[in-house]
Amino acid sequence: MKMTRKEFLQTAAAVAGAIALPGTAASAPLAPQRGMDEGFPASERKGPKRGVSIYSYEHEFNVSATLEDCLIELSDLATPGTKIGLEVLANAHIKNYPNPSTAWIDDWYKMLDRYDIIPVEYGHWVDTKLYSETRTIDTKEGVEMLIADIKLASRLGFTRARTKVGMQGGASMMVQTPADNFFEIIKGALETAQKHNVRMLTEIHIPTPLKGPTMDKYMDFITKENTNPWFALNIDFSVFQTRMGPQLGDHQASAAGGQAPHAPPWMGKLPLAVPEDMIPLIPYIHCCHAKFNDMTDDCDETTIPYPEVIKVLADHGYNGYMMSEYEGIDKLQGGAWPAVRKQHVMMKRLLGEA
Amino acid sequence: MEAVQQRGFRNVYKNGQCTGFQIAYRSTYYRGISLSLSKGFRALVDGEQFPREAITITYEGETYTQDELTKAGHVHWQLDEPVILNIAKPGGLKLGVHVVTVNWSHRISYIGTRPGDPEQTPAAELGGPGSTGSTLEFGGGNVTRKLVLVR
Repeated sequence: MKMTRKEFLQTAAAVAGAIALPGTAASAPLAPQRGMDEGFPASERKGPKRGVSIYSYEHEFNVSATLEDCLIELSDLATPGTKIGLEVLANAHIKNYPNPSTAWIDDWYKMLDRYDIIPVEYGHWVDTKLYSETRTIDTKEGVEMLIADIKLASRLGFTRARTKVGMQGGASMMVQTPADNFFEIIKGALETAQKHNVRMLTEIHIPTPLKGPTMDKYMDFITKENTNPWFALNIDFSVFQTRMGPQLGDHQASAAGGQAPHAPPWMGKLPLAVPEDMIPLIPYIHCCHAKFNDMTDDCDETTIPYPEVIKVLADHGYNGYMMSEYEGIDKLQGGAWPAVRKQHVMMKRLLGEA
Repeated sequence: MEAVQQRGFRNVYKNGQCTGFQIAYRSTYYRGISLSLSKGFRALVDGEQFPREAITITYEGETYTQDELTKAGHVHWQLDEPVILNIAKPGGLKLGVHVVTVNWSHRISYIGTRPGDPEQTPAAELGGPGSTGSTLEFGGGNVTRKLVLVR
């Protein structure tokens, strides 16, 4: 590919921004760095790509479906010649987490190959309330947990981690801000993340909008410490929800003949963000959660403006995966299987993949 | 998924004396967590209350009081492994059908602490079957099931 001098300089600058770590000189390395490798096979399409978090099947998993059943289901969603992205929840889906056997890992890779699956995102938690509701975990213990997960993610072939470190809530529960030592814990694992080519992504999810004090805290840290892509963003499409849609709380309440027991405080304030809010964030977004709540039989989603969301991602150069996360009312009765399929019909249409 | 397991429901004998009974319970949460994140287990059997002090927990061969449980940060409770609730009741339960409610709750690190959130399961008595202490979607609250005791 031929580049103009200006394009070359822009690319070099982007590379420098992407790999510079605290304590390293900010000189521009010209060779492609490992961090710039998206980690996806060349056969994968450019632009937004489809994947599934098998969290969607939480009520089937370990009851009527094994891990392999979930992966077979995903293989039905892959477009021939490409792979379907996979997100697991480490402490749900990995047998004997955090110490899977080598036999399990061998089997894991065989299944990925057999079912046309690319491991994309590894969902994990640093449970900062490990010993107390009000006192956060020691930074050292948090870093150790984080490093162990990054190494395991890498062993299983993942290039992204949805890294959930604890939050603090205000009295209104409308504002969730990072726990006291959130950023110290992340800092302690940045080198390991780079070494193992695993991007730690903090998830922006209801009730956190894409513009506001919590987002400012993340972006200040990311830019001041030059953490991109080793610590960056995962956008959960719940932030674009225009209405609540059917929720588990409603279901429980209607079963009990009453009101939803815990009406979320953001209910009257939707949407918290619009898809255009993602535009300046795109260089920092390395995975998305394609949250959805309600699919019609025409394969449209009724609570989140998917056409606009996908258009913004595609038009502004997003080159990562969108991982299905189903939270619809019928999830308790096996509804996740058809719902995820319908959502992928919708996404194929919107991506021009149909 | 049934959280309260039929399998494992039986009286427990020590030196020929019935000292209580046990219930196997699987996590209702969507992911496995450290045992220390538990706020506690309580039970209600045919209307009789069993507070946290009356219940110890066995997991992978180790038995913990519920205070000890709060320190078990490095013991990972796998989603597909039940814990055993050992419930003290001299003489045990009668053979036959029992209505069993287990209440479990845990801390969620990614949701800020709500004012008044207790460190441990409150001492208050459990309500009847069906009422929930916290939302099941976060894996806490009451789970009630009819179980049959044979030994």
